[in-house]
Amino acid sequence: MRDLNIIICIFSLLLSGTLLSQTTGSSSVSVTLPVVTLMDVEPTGNITLNFVSPTEAGLAIVNPAVNTTKWVNYSSAIAPAGLTRRITAAVNTIIPGVSIRVQAAAASGSGGGTLGTSSGLVTLTTTAATIISGIGGAFTGNGTNNGHQLTISLVTNTYANLSARTSTPVIITFTITE
Amino acid sequence: MKPNCHFSKNQFYIKYLSILLLLLFNYYVKAQTLTVTGTAWTVPITTITEAGTNYTGTYQSAANQVLLAASVPLLLGNAKVSVHYQPNPTWNSSLILSAKRTGNGTTACGLCTITGGTTYITLTQTDIELFRISAIVALGAYNNIPIQLQLSGVSVTIPATTYQSNIVFTISSI
Repeated sequence: MRDLNIIICIFSLLLSGTLLSQTTGSSSVSVTLPVVTLMDVEPTGNITLNFVSPTEAGLAIVNPAVNTTKWVNYSSAIAPAGLTRRITAAVNTIIPGVSIRVQAAAASGSGGGTLGTSSGLVTLTTTAATIISGIGGAFTGNGTNNGHQLTISLVTNTYANLSARTSTPVIITFTITE
Repeated sequence: MKPNCHFSKNQFYIKYLSILLLLLFNYYVKAQTLTVTGTAWTVPITTITEAGTNYTGTYQSAANQVLLAASVPLLLGNAKVSVHYQPNPTWNSSLILSAKRTGNGTTACGLCTITGGTTYITLTQTDIELFRISAIVALGAYNNIPIQLQLSGVSVTIPATTYQSNIVFTISSI
């Protein structure tokens, strides 16, 4: 009987400790970060590149000045161990005798993260070509002077294929993809 | 022959009952207690709609997201409530959790005080003091002490997945 009471005492002691001396507690926090894949070219609007006629017999036509007004902006969030992204460019049509070229500069501005790397000077065709690769979790900042500045140029290639033409619209499509 | 016994049966039970009551009272008097209620906080991340931009970065919970009930011992008892976070199971160290006390809660103790923790304190995985409770000549018990949480450092540069942590509150003597 004496032993039983001692056991009851000890048990009660332990139980009282459990019931009355709770000294810790917790609450949970959960945050879900979604995959993000956003890209645009800024500022909006068309650009015009015009060849200039030579003023001296025997000279070639003069290539238009390069255009550097466009900037590629992107926001990219990838899953853990996910594939990096790249940006491709393609034209909707080819002008005979003319090459349309794009070069993305290194990223600059207010961005951060794992920004992409330029592929250098790329001559565009109707098949998408990578101009920027290795984009991880990153953002470039928004608007001009943020992201990758584009240098768009027109040059002649096969002179024999050139023909006089009036304004010929060409659409360059930029795509962000894995 | 009647056995030689120092206590009658009733005295025997009274003795052990008294011991039990003393033990219970002893614990009640000496132990700090802390109860955590409120709702789990699911951070509402704002969708990015403009290429090139990042998340706004800082999110705040409701001012009373977490409610604490704390009591400290009788007679000049002082206690501190500490807090830390515990990844459950995954957290990213770029996500910064903070907590602050947004009110005093309620208490019946006129001479008790609750101090500190009214500005955001950055949480780590080790305990950091959030606030203190002092009890003078009475049991210092506070209920519904409101705690607000903050999450900063949210960025697209953090791998896109779900992160969870437990915010652990602990009361202890000073």
